[in-house]
Amino acid sequence: MGMDPVRATTAVLPAPEAARRDERQVVVSRADLRADLDSIFRRDYRQVVGVAARVLGSADQAEDVAQDAFLAFGRTAVPAEQATGWLCVAAAHTALNLLRSGRRRAAREETGAPPPTVADVAEVVVTREERSRVRAALGTLPRTQAVALVLRHSGLSYADVAAALELSPGSVGTTVRRAESALRKELNRHASSD
Amino acid sequence: MRHPTEGVLRRLLDEPAGVADADRQHVADCPHCLDALVATRSDADLVGAALATGTADLDVDAAWQRLTTSRLTTSRPAAGPERVAVPSRRWRGQLRRPAAAALAVGVVLAGAGTAAANDWLQIFHTERITAVPLKTADLVSLPDLSAYGTVTVTAQPDVHEVADAAAAGAATGLPVPEVVRLPRGVSGDPAYQVGGKAGATFTFSARKAAAAAAAAGASLPAPPAGLDGSSVRLAAGPGVAEVWKSGTGVPALVVGRVVAPTAFSSGVPFTVLRDYLLTLPGLPAPVAEQLRTFAGDGSTLPLPVPADRVTTRQDSVNGMPATVLQTRDRTLAAVTWVQDGKVTVVAGSLGADEVLMIARGLQ
Repeated sequence: MGMDPVRATTAVLPAPEAARRDERQVVVSRADLRADLDSIFRRDYRQVVGVAARVLGSADQAEDVAQDAFLAFGRTAVPAEQATGWLCVAAAHTALNLLRSGRRRAAREETGAPPPTVADVAEVVVTREERSRVRAALGTLPRTQAVALVLRHSGLSYADVAAALELSPGSVGTTVRRAESALRKELNRHASSD
Repeated sequence: MRHPTEGVLRRLLDEPAGVADADRQHVADCPHCLDALVATRSDADLVGAALATGTADLDVDAAWQRLTTSRLTTSRPAAGPERVAVPSRRWRGQLRRPAAAALAVGVVLAGAGTAAANDWLQIFHTERITAVPLKTADLVSLPDLSAYGTVTVTAQPDVHEVADAAAAGAATGLPVPEVVRLPRGVSGDPAYQVGGKAGATFTFSARKAAAAAAAAGASLPAPPAGLDGSSVRLAAGPGVAEVWKSGTGVPALVVGRVVAPTAFSSGVPFTVLRDYLLTLPGLPAPVAEQLRTFAGDGSTLPLPVPADRVTTRQDSVNGMPATVLQTRDRTLAAVTWVQDGKVTVVAGSLGADEVLMIARGLQ
């Protein structure tokens, strides 16, 4: 069960989907945004989109989430050296909220090729159905496990993940491992029941 | 030597330099650990491949342009075809956890009153709902309360479908609302979903709150005496929802009823905790100011809505004050009110007048 007010509100009310950009009327002026947003955006945008894309399976929706995250970040005073962690965690939570609330646009899910940075993973053959199952199971994991898993697979170091989630560095591996084990079990469960 | 933990094995795959020499040496010489390492790698590779999604052709310049131009404007063109597909997913999200959702709102906002030390005293019982308009950007930036303490879920509502109204009534002990006259475009029998009681406890931690404040680049205001370790216990549910689908399978009308959230406090007076939470870094100051004006008598549950996309107004349903919500594109409307300790919601792909008419005609 989610305890954050964003998800709660959208679950109670017929509020338009957060990722829908067409009707959005964001009343924020350029002057409200922090001065270093430009450089941080250019440095971190790909990584933040990558985090959301791993949760949502869609680069388009991931960009919507990343834009939300940067817009929110632009109005904070978070130190620049903590920006990457803040943005990645914000993107992961926002994307998981979308995933868990069922408001993800499933029809537009992409099976996209793995990014070149994970070449060793490319040898693993994963069906479209398995991708869907893993994402569905991701939405049911304890939130810290899900976020740690996504951050790690998005290239954050163990130290970065630990700092971003306030975990001890030694517990990051355990948290990620448990998440992966749970997702594997979910796939095996479906495989054995087919 | 004991086998290294599963966490150590996992890190060995990614950052071998971060693993102690003794552990590395043990794994290299231990058939059991080597087997475990193979399984760990297999799971990691599988999950990595399953989550990988192509983002190679991102245009960062165009994305920056979008953020600084179109995302900062105040008007938008009409929606495209995707508008049609969106509501169904949204409604399903609503139905899964009606009780939990109300509870989660309550965790942040509920309550006022006085609680004696060491006892759980009821300090909040929902009698009214009032919409608090927030901007979308504020919703995105509302803090997860777990940054300020420990949130423990004590009871899950276990939402599931039952056969009919009688079964829903028996499962929840609630009078199941009956829609006398369905609006045009909605027909047939509804599906019934029920959920049990949901509960959660939030315990404030000065240490975590200080860390969250530091992460937000601010210092933590000094907590009032006795606040550290104080808890608020929230309860809501059971609840029932009736769902009518349209010809396309999209839920067209939803009528839900849930036992209203209540809150109990231990330790310091709840007003102290609430007022202090509202000053924490991360909550936009104007939002905190708005919220502070509510729940003065411990009975109003403020319900944040994105002001830029949903309009709200007050009306009445059978003499009870009701809050009417409508999306600005007028595709969805809802009305919600509290009566006899129960929150009722009527919502659908309908106009505000239609949901009000249905609400007033409920048996």
